[in-house]
Amino acid sequence: MKIMPCPLNGPRPIQEFTCGGEVVATPNPDRADAETWADYLFLHHNAAGIVREWWYHVPTSFWFIADRNTVTDEIVRTFLPRELFRPDAQRDQP
Amino acid sequence: MTEPRSPIDDAVRAAGAVVGEHAGVTAVTDYGDPEAEIAASRRLGLADLSPLARVGFRGPGAREWLAARGVELPDEPNRARVQPDGSIAIARSWTEALVLGALRGADSVCDRLEAGAADGHRVRAYSLPRFDGMFWFALTGASAVDCLAKLCGVDMRESAFPVGSVAQTSLARLNAVIVRVDLGDMPVFHLLGDSASAEYAWASLLDAMQEFDGRPVGLRALHALAREFE
Repeated sequence: MKIMPCPLNGPRPIQEFTCGGEVVATPNPDRADAETWADYLFLHHNAAGIVREWWYHVPTSFWFIADRNTVTDEIVRTFLPRELFRPDAQRDQP
Repeated sequence: MTEPRSPIDDAVRAAGAVVGEHAGVTAVTDYGDPEAEIAASRRLGLADLSPLARVGFRGPGAREWLAARGVELPDEPNRARVQPDGSIAIARSWTEALVLGALRGADSVCDRLEAGAADGHRVRAYSLPRFDGMFWFALTGASAVDCLAKLCGVDMRESAFPVGSVAQTSLARLNAVIVRVDLGDMPVFHLLGDSASAEYAWASLLDAMQEFDGRPVGLRALHALAREFE
């Protein structure tokens, strides 16, 4: 069984989790052109190596972030979103 | 208007439950043999506590708002603390709490918190009605740990999951909250999950309990045991 270390619940079977996709900066809605939006919405980087992803623990409805190696499927580190985002933070500028 | 009912009301009545008022709560008092149910509770019993009060709160101010009303949450998430009145305060995360009313019915703390809930918005503490949304069962007795091992991936042995532990995990493939708060020396696991799946959870638990000679028990047996340990 593959184990995911959840920052809230500790080590749990991977079946309790859903992957929410790569962590990417949201374009500025006032300035982004159509191509930037399309890239943000539809295109994945699909990189080989360590990527940063959103993960969701289903029983607690809890979102967190994991650094995962897509080549070896090793989970390098998991942490709370507040390490990257402040609740009142402005959206990242493109 | 009908009285609030347990989501498994039909199932327990079909199993011979006597529903009546006991210690201020209308619930399953027994299944016809309270004495046998006391012994069964010590071995492996399953009680439907869904008619008892419970309420949740969430928000950055939830912890302080509850503390100001005399509910002391544990400092860490996924821990439970028994309050002086017998209710149980559970920290589900840093900003979410679940309060389970005392086993001995006539509970006032959940009613009191819900009645004053609008006041919490001021400090960003928001109430989460849990009475209709969640079933509440208690799995009791010496074989409870072995029985849970069949349904759940989390280690529930006392060395890994002592009294006061909380696991929010998958139980028989349902999302559930599992809370260990013993009655004296008798292991008790409180199980809460989505009430829409209550009949499935009840049946799955009874099925898993068969090999340990487990059976459903009423509130009368649990109250008798609670008194014994006082």
